[in-house]
Amino acid sequence: MAAGFKTVEPLEYYRRFLKENCRPDGRELGEFRTTTVNIGSISTAEGSALVKLGNTTVICGVKAEFAAPPTDAPDKGYVVPNVDLPPLCSSRFRSGPPGEEAQVASQFIADVIENSQIIQKEDLCISPGKLAWVLYCDLICLDYDGNILDACTFALLAALKNVQLPEVTINEETALAEVNLKKKSYLNIRTHPVATSFAVFDDTLLIVDPTGEEEHLATGTLTIVMDEEGKLCCLHKPGGSGLTGAKLQDCMSRAVTRHKEVKKLMDEVIKSIKPK
Amino acid sequence: MPGDHRRIRGPEESQPPQLYAADEEEAPAARDPTRLRPVYARAGLLSQAKGSAYLKAGGTKAEGGERGGGPAGAGGEAPAALRGTALRVPPRPLRGAPTRAPRSCGEEVKLALQEALEPAVRLGRYPRAQLEVSALLLEDGGSALAAALTAAALALADAGVEMYDLVVGCGLSLAPGPAPTWLLDPTRLEEERAAAGLTVALMPVLNQVAGLLGSGEGGLTESWAEAVRLGLEGCQRLYPVLQQCLVRAARRRGAAAPP
Repeated sequence: MAAGFKTVEPLEYYRRFLKENCRPDGRELGEFRTTTVNIGSISTAEGSALVKLGNTTVICGVKAEFAAPPTDAPDKGYVVPNVDLPPLCSSRFRSGPPGEEAQVASQFIADVIENSQIIQKEDLCISPGKLAWVLYCDLICLDYDGNILDACTFALLAALKNVQLPEVTINEETALAEVNLKKKSYLNIRTHPVATSFAVFDDTLLIVDPTGEEEHLATGTLTIVMDEEGKLCCLHKPGGSGLTGAKLQDCMSRAVTRHKEVKKLMDEVIKSIKPK
Repeated sequence: MPGDHRRIRGPEESQPPQLYAADEEEAPAARDPTRLRPVYARAGLLSQAKGSAYLKAGGTKAEGGERGGGPAGAGGEAPAALRGTALRVPPRPLRGAPTRAPRSCGEEVKLALQEALEPAVRLGRYPRAQLEVSALLLEDGGSALAAALTAAALALADAGVEMYDLVVGCGLSLAPGPAPTWLLDPTRLEEERAAAGLTVALMPVLNQVAGLLGSGEGGLTESWAEAVRLGLEGCQRLYPVLQQCLVRAARRRGAAAPP
C-alpha cells in the first residue's frame, strides 16, 4: 500500500516523512549516505579514483599529456575536466554529445578547480612558452542516484592526489623533452575542496545529499564547496526557491562539518594505498 | 575539436609523454598460449539500469548496462531490434592510446557487438520493443572487445531479458616472430605487438558461434581455424564463472526483494 501511495502521490509520501524529520531511506535530514572511495584502480591512467555516495557512483581518471602553453599565459599548464553521463547511468540520458546536465557539471568542476586553486597551473609548466603538462580529468558517472556534483568533486580530488607525473627534462642541444618514466612524483595539491549539496523542499526545508528521487521532487538545489580553512570556493544555486541568509549560514556550517568527514576518509584511504 | 562548445576547451593538440620516453617497454614475457587470465564478474550492481554487469579480466575492466528502451517506431509486425548497442571507449585517461573527445567506438565494433548479441536474445518475445545495451570500457588491458561483449551479455541476462543462451567473448592475438603462435586472452602489450587479432563470441550451451571479428596478416587458413578453435575453448572455460555470477546475483536480488 505504501508503494502505491508513493507512485501516485510522491510528494505527499515524502512530506509525511519530512514531518517526522527523517527520510524514506532512514536517514536524518542532515545525514549523508555511506561514502566509499577507491583510489588508483585504473593502471593505464596517471591517477584514478572511484567514489560511491550510496548508489551514486562516479569514476575519475586523470591522464597527463604534453602541450604548448597558451599564448596569453606561457607559464601555465592546463587542467581540462569533462563530466560524462552515459546512458547506462540513468534512463534520462541518451548517447551522443554531452547533454545539458553534463555540460553544467563539467563547467561546475572547472569553476571549482579555478576558484579553489587546487593546483597552481604554474606548477604544470615545464618550460615556459614551450612545454607544459595538460591534465585531462575525465569523470564518468556509472550510476546516477542524485548528488552527482559532490561525488564528482570528491572523485576529482582523490584522483588528483593519486596522480604521479614522470620527471621531464629539456635536452639543451636538441630542445626536445626527455621523459623518465621510472621517476615519478606526486602533484602539489594546495587545497582540498569538498562539495556539499542540499535540496530545498517546499521552499523551506533543507535536506543534505539528495537521492535521485529527492532531487526530482525538490523545489531547488544548492551546492557549496568549501576548502579546509573554511573558505568558500564555490556556491552553485541554479534557480529554484529562494533561501534566507540564515538558512544559507546553516548550510555553510554543515558544509564545514562535511569537509572534515571527507578529509578524514580520504587521508585514511591514501595512507592505506601500498606504494606502487 | 573546433567549435565544440559543449566541452571545456583544452589545448589544440597534445602528445602523450610516452612518445618522449627514453626507455622502451619490455617485451611481453613468454607464457602458455592457452592461459586465460582470472576473471571477476559481478552482475546487478547499478541501481539505475535494469540490468548491469562488471567484468574484470587481468587489466581489462568493462561494464555493461541494459535499460529497457521504449517501443521502436511504428513497426507493425516488425520483429524487435537490438538497437542502440554502443561501445563507449572513454577518452584518454582510461586507455593506453590518446583520443580527442570521448568517442563511441567505430561503427564496425558497434555492429559486431550487435550481431553477436542478437542471436542470443529471444527477440520474438519483445515485438516492437527496442532494447538499449551499452558497454563502457573502463580500462583496456587487452581483449577489450571480448570483455565488453561478455559484460553486455551478462547485463542482458541480469535484466531478465529472455535469452536462448549467454554470449561469451574471447580475444586472441598472433604473436609475430619466426614461429607465430596464437595467444589466448592477450594483454595490452601482446596486442600492441601482434601481427593479427581475433575476437570470438560463442553461445556455450548451444555451442554456436555468435560473432567473429578479426584483422591482420595471419598466414595460412589453418592457422586461423586453429585460432578460432582455441578461442571457442577459452569461451567454454569462462562459462562456469559467468553462470555462478548470475546465480549469485539472482540470489542477492531474491534476498533483497520485499517479502
